[in-house]
Amino acid sequence: MPAAELAVVADGLTRRFGLVSAVRDVTLSLPRSSVLLVIGPNGAGKTTFLRLLATALKPTAGRVAVFGADLVREPDAVRRVTAFVPTGPTTYDGLTARENIEFAAAMSGTLVEPQEWLERAGLAEVAHRPVRTFSQGMKRRLTMAQAWLRKPALLLLDEPFSGLDADGLRLVDALIADVKSRDGSVILCTHEWERGKRLSDLMITLAGGRLVESTSLVSTTHVEFVTARGHR
Amino acid sequence: MNGIIRAAALARKDLLLEWRGREILTAMATFALLVLLLLGFTIGATPSTSPTMLWIALGLATMLGMPRLIYSEVEQGAFETLLLYPGSREHLFWGKSAALASLLAVLWCVLLVIAGLFFNLDIWSRLPALIGAGVLGVVGLSATGTLYAALLLHVRGRELLLPVLLLPIMLPLVLAGVRVTEAALGGNNGGMWVAVIGLFDILFLLLAPLLFEAITEET
Amino acid sequence: MILRTLLGVLAIVLLVTGAYFGLVVSPPDAFQGDYVRIMYAHVPNAWVAYLSIATVFVTSVLYLWKRRAIYDHVAHSAAELGVLFTGLALATGMIWGKPVWGTWWTWDARLVTTAILFLIYIGYLLVRALSEDSERGAKVAAIVGIIGSLDVPVIHYSVLWFRTLHQPASIVRGDIKMAPPMLMALMTSLLAFTVLFIYLLTLRVHLQQLHTARTESLAHEV
Repeated sequence: MPAAELAVVADGLTRRFGLVSAVRDVTLSLPRSSVLLVIGPNGAGKTTFLRLLATALKPTAGRVAVFGADLVREPDAVRRVTAFVPTGPTTYDGLTARENIEFAAAMSGTLVEPQEWLERAGLAEVAHRPVRTFSQGMKRRLTMAQAWLRKPALLLLDEPFSGLDADGLRLVDALIADVKSRDGSVILCTHEWERGKRLSDLMITLAGGRLVESTSLVSTTHVEFVTARGHR
Repeated sequence: MNGIIRAAALARKDLLLEWRGREILTAMATFALLVLLLLGFTIGATPSTSPTMLWIALGLATMLGMPRLIYSEVEQGAFETLLLYPGSREHLFWGKSAALASLLAVLWCVLLVIAGLFFNLDIWSRLPALIGAGVLGVVGLSATGTLYAALLLHVRGRELLLPVLLLPIMLPLVLAGVRVTEAALGGNNGGMWVAVIGLFDILFLLLAPLLFEAITEET
Repeated sequence: MILRTLLGVLAIVLLVTGAYFGLVVSPPDAFQGDYVRIMYAHVPNAWVAYLSIATVFVTSVLYLWKRRAIYDHVAHSAAELGVLFTGLALATGMIWGKPVWGTWWTWDARLVTTAILFLIYIGYLLVRALSEDSERGAKVAAIVGIIGSLDVPVIHYSVLWFRTLHQPASIVRGDIKMAPPMLMALMTSLLAFTVLFIYLLTLRVHLQQLHTARTESLAHEV
C-alpha cells in the first residue's frame, strides 16, 4: 500500500532521555480511518509516543511518516494535519470560552464560526464566561473542541477520559467518529482500556518503551494492514 | 498573511490576559516608582541625572516583571501547545515581543509622567521625542527579553537567570537610551545615540526571530 | 597526548622565561618604578580573557552550524578558562592601580567592559550548569555565547562614548613608553600565557570528551 494511504508508518522509533529509553524500537503501520488504542502501565512510554508523533519531541532514532510526511524533515507538514490533546488543558483561564476557540482557530490558520464549536462542546451558554470559572469537565470539553476545529487527519488523545463528564464522553465519541468519517485516524492512550476498546479498531501494548503486543479489536479485514513487530 | 494573523492573535491574547488582571504591570510600575523615589531622594535630580534614573527604573522593573510575564502560570505547557500549531515559530516571536513591547511602552509613559512631576521636567513640550526615545528602547528590550525567555525555558532557575543574562545585553541599550532622553529633554542633538539604539534594535530584530526559531526546534 | 605534554612543557618554559625577563632583566619604569612589573601579568591575563571570549564565539557558531560535539566542548572549556583569566585580569589590574594611581578602580571603558565580561562568562556557565537536558542545553549555551561575545565590543563602545563624549574621564590610564627590554618581557609573557591557555584548553576539552564518552557508554548499557 502506498505510504500516503497509511496514516502513520513508524520504523524503529526510539526516543532516549539521557540514559533512559522512553520509547524503544517501535515499528507499526496504521491505516486510514482507524482508531488505535495504546495501553500499558505507567511509564511505559505512551505519552512519549504521542508527543513524538505530535512533533513535540524529535526521535533519537528511527523514521516516522504521517500521511507521507517525514516527521523529522517535514515537521510543519505533520503539524498541519495532526492535533494533539494532552492530559492537561490547552485553554487559557483568563480568556472566555469563545476567545479560546477564536485563539485556537487563528493560531492554526483555520476559519471558524465559534458558536458552532461551542455548541458541539456543549458550552454555548457559557461562551462569554472566563474559563477560570469552568469545572474540569468543561475545560476538557473546550480543549477537545480546540483540537476538533482544526479538522485533523491524525488525532492524538492522551488519557482523553480523565476528568470528563457525561457530556464529555459523548463529545469524545462524536469527535472520533467525525475524524474517521473524513478518512482520518485516531491514536488514543489510556489506562481505562474498557472504554478505549469500545472506540478502537486496533490495540497495541507498550511496556518499558517497547511494543509488546498488538491486537485487532474488530473484524479481521483490518489485521492484514497492520504490521507491528513485537519482541526483541 | 497567515503569519500576521498568528502573531496578532498571540499578542492580543497576551495583552488581553494582562489587561484583565493587570497585576504584573501594576507591580512593575509600583516597583519602578519606588526606584525613582529612592534615587531621586538620595542622588537628587539634575538635568544629567534625571534621564539616568528614569532608565534605571525602567530597566530594573523590566528585569523584575519580564520573567513573570513570560513564565506565568501554566506557561510552559501552554507554550508547547503554541509550538504545535502549524506555521513558522517566528510568528510566535513577533506576537510575544509585540505584547511585551506594548506593556513596556505603557510603563514608560507612566514613568515619564511621574518623573516629570518628581524631577520637575518639562515633558509635555518634548513629548514626541520622549515617547520616541522610549519606543526605541522598549523595542530592543522586548526583543531581547522574548528571545532569552525562550532560550531559558528548559533551564532551571530561569526566573533568576533571565535578569543575569539580560543585564549585559541591556546595558548598551540603557546607556544609549539615557543619552537620547537627555537630548530629547535638552533639545540638543542626540542623533548619534538615536542611531546607536536604532542599529541595535534593527540587528536584534533581524537576528532574534531566527535564533528563536532555532531554539524552539524540538530536540 | 604527547603533543599536549609538549605544549605544557613549552608553556612552563615560556612562563619562567617571561617571569625572568619581567622581574629581573627589564628595567623599572621611570614613573611607576617596580610596580610596572605587574603589567607583565595583567596585560597577558586580559589578553587571554578576550581571546577566550573570541574562542567561545567562534566555536559556538561552529557548533550551531555543524553540530559536532567537539565545538561544544571547546566553547565550554574556553568559557571556564575565560572566567579564570578575567578574574585574574581584574585582580592584577586592581593591584596595579592602587599603588600607581591611588585607586582600586577607575571607570574607564576597558575596565568596565572587562568587569562585565566576567559577568557574561558567569551567566554563560550558569546556563550550562542549570540546563535540564544536555543536547538542548548545548544549543542554548551556544546562542547565549554568541550573543554574549558579540555584546562585548558593543558594551565597550557604549561605555566609551557615554563617558568621553560628554565629560573627560577623571583618570586616564596613560600608555607606557616601553624600552626594548620591557617590550621583550611583555611579548614573552603574552606568548607564554597564550600557550598556557591553549594547553589548559586541550586538557579541559579532553576531560570533557572523556566525560561524554562515559555517559554515552552508560546509556548503551541500559
